[in-house]
Amino acid sequence: MRIKNESDPLRLQTVLAPEQVSDEALAARVARGDSAALAALYDRHASTVLGVLLKVIGERAAAEDVLQETFWRVWKSASTYESQRGSFTGWLFRIARNLAIDAHRRLDVRPQALSNMDDADAIADRTPDPDSDVAEQAQVDFRNRQVRAALTSLPRAQRQVIELAYFYSMTRQEIAEATGEALGTIHTRARLALQKLREELDKEEFEG
Amino acid sequence: MDTRIEELLPFYALDALTDEERELVEAYLREHSEARQQVDEMGKAVSALPRGAPPVEPSPRTKEALMARVAVDAGARSRASKADQPSRPRGMRWENLFQVFSLGAAVAAIVWAVVLNVQLSQLRNQVSMLNNALVAQSNSLEQINTKLSQAPASAAVTVSLNGTDVQPRARGELIANPNSQSAVLVIAGLSQLEAGKTYQVWLIDGGGPKSAGLLTVDAKGQGVLIVTSDLTIGEFNALGISIEPDGGSGQPTGDIVVLSDL
Repeated sequence: MRIKNESDPLRLQTVLAPEQVSDEALAARVARGDSAALAALYDRHASTVLGVLLKVIGERAAAEDVLQETFWRVWKSASTYESQRGSFTGWLFRIARNLAIDAHRRLDVRPQALSNMDDADAIADRTPDPDSDVAEQAQVDFRNRQVRAALTSLPRAQRQVIELAYFYSMTRQEIAEATGEALGTIHTRARLALQKLREELDKEEFEG
Repeated sequence: MDTRIEELLPFYALDALTDEERELVEAYLREHSEARQQVDEMGKAVSALPRGAPPVEPSPRTKEALMARVAVDAGARSRASKADQPSRPRGMRWENLFQVFSLGAAVAAIVWAVVLNVQLSQLRNQVSMLNNALVAQSNSLEQINTKLSQAPASAAVTVSLNGTDVQPRARGELIANPNSQSAVLVIAGLSQLEAGKTYQVWLIDGGGPKSAGLLTVDAKGQGVLIVTSDLTIGEFNALGISIEPDGGSGQPTGDIVVLSDL
């Protein structure tokens, strides 16, 4: 038996028409053992997930390993995903984030949010994948740009607090210690950052 | 309203609380619907955060390795499902094969003898070729000859093996008696591995992949392995070769470079 090319675009278009199928519907297909649906989800979200992993882990080869492990977990655990409890991307990013934080702790990498690198302004390492659906990828890119624009609108100190908490799972006390700020200041910055981010995303009519 | 707990809400939404703090917040949220609403609103902002990282296009190899791993698992699931059906026990494919042969016994005997001669002739050629190329593996070749001489003449079966998209040039054969617990694996066209990596052979049945040994290849990408198993070879449905850390793994973790039905 030869391995079939599960990402064969023709097959996907005729069987799944992935550009018209929601993430949640594809996840349900994955739960039934449909590897082509997994390939479609991978094509749709792998670059975003790898961006998160690279931000947290900071090392390309390790980030690619964790990317593979993230989608492997999706394949093995898709039956536990319940769409009524949240979006597929929320579930996917949680898996990726948890694996990335574990890898980050193993590698003992300094959080980028504490360094001079300004991720929201960084140029994406993004060469278009010739196999991916252009319209679908444009939609993903558009949503990503909306979020980056909203994040850029936050004061840097506020953004830093939520990024350290979310991407590196640092506690309030750890953030206060790392930034040299009072715990009360960290509380205020986190609350204001999330409020403002929500308002900015509403303004942009971000749909998740 | 408890100010101390309200301060924790953004960090609850960000999933950055200690276990103790999280339990405290969850107990609070059960009794304060307004706080629950706030957390839900914050959660919407948090769920967008991953999209704030610049996207990075993964290497094609990452997807290939993932899908090869998935293909092996999907095959194992499918076989496990078939194995659960009482009307089709493990190893049935081989039994069916022999039943078909027994229907035309006279013709089959002649055909079989011819096929066997061809197979043995091919095998001798392969062993001879590899013997020249793999002087350092003379012990392995002796083992092959021993196994071949022990195998019943009428039972030898050759299965072609093909490389996956990861190493499409890989090809080989598994020469086996389906009722035996060992077989000879001959492979060519495999790439040289970096230090710290090894090829590992897997026999796959309804219960998933089982290690059948580590495979060493020479500078030309050729290798021979006496594959051994607790079960008879006929009970397995597929053979795979993956790249693993030195010493091998309990389950395939790296790229699948060869995968073929038996």
